[in-house]
Amino acid sequence: MRSSEAIIVWGSLLVVVAAMFATVYWPVINIRDEPSDIWRPLQSQEEKGRLIYIANGCTYCHSQYIRPQDWGIGAERISQSGDYYRQIPHLLGSQRTGPDLSQEGGEHSDDWHRAHFINPRFTRPRSLMPAFAYIGEEGIESLIAYIQSLGGKDADQRMAVQNRFHEEAIAAWERGPDEHIRWLHSRVPQPWRIMPSETPATRASVARGEKVYQDYCIGCHGPVGDGAGPAAPYIYPPPVNFTTLRRHLIDGQYIGGILYYQIMNGITGTAMPYHKKDLESAKIWDVGNYIMVNFINVRDDRIPSAGIPVSYEGRHAKPVTKNPQPEPIQPGKGGVR
Amino acid sequence: MRINLTRFWSTEYLTAKIFLVSGAVWFAVGTSLGLFSAIHLVAPDFFANIAFIEFGRVRPAHTNTVLFGFVTGMLIGAGVYILPKVLNTRLFSEPMGVVAAVTFNLAVLVGDISLLAGHSQGREYAEYIFPVDVMIVVAFLLLTANAVMTVRQRREPLLYVSSWYVVGAMLWTTVMYPFGNVLWRGRPGAMSGITDAIFLWFYGHNIFGLLVTPLAVAIGYYMVPRIARAPLYSQLLSILGFWTLLMFYTHIGGHHLIQAPIPTWLKTVSIIDSFAMMLPVAIVLINWWYTARGRFQNFLSNPVGKFFLIGSIWYAIVCVQGPLQSLAWVQRVTHFNNWVIGHSHIAVLGFTGFIAIAGMYYVLPYITGRKIYSTKLINIQYWLVLLGLLGFFVSLTAAGLIQGHVWLHGGTVYRSVPMLKPYMTTRLFEGILIIIGSYIGLYNVIMTFLKGERISE
Repeated sequence: MRSSEAIIVWGSLLVVVAAMFATVYWPVINIRDEPSDIWRPLQSQEEKGRLIYIANGCTYCHSQYIRPQDWGIGAERISQSGDYYRQIPHLLGSQRTGPDLSQEGGEHSDDWHRAHFINPRFTRPRSLMPAFAYIGEEGIESLIAYIQSLGGKDADQRMAVQNRFHEEAIAAWERGPDEHIRWLHSRVPQPWRIMPSETPATRASVARGEKVYQDYCIGCHGPVGDGAGPAAPYIYPPPVNFTTLRRHLIDGQYIGGILYYQIMNGITGTAMPYHKKDLESAKIWDVGNYIMVNFINVRDDRIPSAGIPVSYEGRHAKPVTKNPQPEPIQPGKGGVR
Repeated sequence: MRINLTRFWSTEYLTAKIFLVSGAVWFAVGTSLGLFSAIHLVAPDFFANIAFIEFGRVRPAHTNTVLFGFVTGMLIGAGVYILPKVLNTRLFSEPMGVVAAVTFNLAVLVGDISLLAGHSQGREYAEYIFPVDVMIVVAFLLLTANAVMTVRQRREPLLYVSSWYVVGAMLWTTVMYPFGNVLWRGRPGAMSGITDAIFLWFYGHNIFGLLVTPLAVAIGYYMVPRIARAPLYSQLLSILGFWTLLMFYTHIGGHHLIQAPIPTWLKTVSIIDSFAMMLPVAIVLINWWYTARGRFQNFLSNPVGKFFLIGSIWYAIVCVQGPLQSLAWVQRVTHFNNWVIGHSHIAVLGFTGFIAIAGMYYVLPYITGRKIYSTKLINIQYWLVLLGLLGFFVSLTAAGLIQGHVWLHGGTVYRSVPMLKPYMTTRLFEGILIIIGSYIGLYNVIMTFLKGERISE
């Protein structure tokens, strides 16, 4: 029986080493160690931010790889092995309590991140992320630089768009609050500007809108819609004060379409993020109704339109224009190719 | 004075005593660290801006403490008692074991403090910094040498199955730990890019497959025939179980990366071997349960036996769940969310943790010469930990299914966050049951040393 101990020691060791060879060494030497089309090296401040990311365990809630079935941030591009070129260590992560960050660069503005790192509830009221004020101003700046680099060259492209409109937004704000609103409205495509709310502002709609407002908007725009939420001190240009919008109704009546468009697409370059991945159409109309009824004291959902009402709206549906005379659609116009 | 110290170092069972007591301490410390992260997921501003208990720092401290300090430590404590017993000899070198035990516990302590201070290598289960990794490797080198030498000086010619697993666990960990921690690259302790992920998950799963599972199985093979008072059902099955476990477990790390950009064949291998893992698990459980057949009363009438029996049931559950969730089709829902956290808790605390606790209470009277201070307290601990863990498993699995389905059907991550609230809240209170259980256990262990009734020779 003496031989059995040799079999256990050397035999089992052989199996373990063979497994290392087959499932680690072999795949590893066969992986092409090349950067992907979007990869770029990190700059020194981004590298510093990456170390803060590791030290504070961000990877336990934020994955950094997009899977084929994903819908959220970054779903436009499934991760490739070359995206992780020269990353030591890898930060793929195993949990997604918070969103995936592999394409987060340029998704939000720097000042959104600033407020968010001070306390994530400031910009995302239902967030479970820890507050990171303790890492200090310099640390937060490095962390922002790192986050904005995620996605490599694609992130740089998104940041270029952010920066371009950031300048435009600041210039508009510095011309005064009313000029700021006028600029914001000028950045909404024409059909949306003259579109009244497409969902009746019923009591139920406003109540649903209130819930959406509290889950998404309250941190910046504040509980009374004056743009003085807890995130406001960190954000420039500051969040819009909804109560001033009464001075800016289009033709003295419309505002619903503008609110919808800006909630849906956000205002790139400012801290206002897009919400079209988070919120379905009905919820965007509902929160628009809530803002109108509570903060602007206006309703544009009764303005007649040629649209065919949705059946559930029943007696709440907006009046239908009598004898609508729709203009024939011109070929070559309205974006039809 | 010097002579006394030498004699103290050579006290029989000192190594086992250190590992068992430290295991009980780390159980209490580790679960308490878990409490901070559980509170965080209910009320994130409760401890806002206290750096050293921030979620991302406490979480790795929690996982490493329970995995290494508590489960590994307690299992080794029982293992270094069992190994010489089944070989009818003494541990080769008690001082060598004591040095290993002290080094290992110091490593967990230094590792935890450095994690809480923000020094992490950022790789799951391999977060400990380089010096700590070195300490752990040294401890395992000493343990392996000690185990092999103990086998060589045995007076029992037949090598009972428990001894294979104990020697194997220490030997394999000595090889696999520095490999997975990329020790040769020093401070970063990582390879580059996607290669690093392949290294990490080979290691990450083998911490479970080549360290704690073999030790728990060794203890099971030792305890079952003794508690049942019946011979082992089949020696042949135990040999089959040993080699199939080794062959399949080492290939399944890739199932952590099923939807990541690693080679497809590696994913396929990992899924097939994950399924094949049902074989060695079934073999072990059949061997245990058939040995105990008709004698389950011996287990149920005894709190130590209950801990063990439930541990073996958790083993069955976790090893049916594991292969299923390695399927890409299942992972589309279960990956990246609390489902996996539920799975890892029933694996580490349910299977290996329950068996470690059973092993500790079983061995303690033999090495202290005292009866366990209070059987009643073991029973109370048993119910607290069992109910806590059951609730934990249900809460986390439910939360995970919700998250997974929200994402799969077009919802964003932010939409799924508020849905966690009820489950994170129930989990917090279920966790508190486990924590109370861990402190009761620690009290019972300490009191056994101090006031346990002496067993007459």
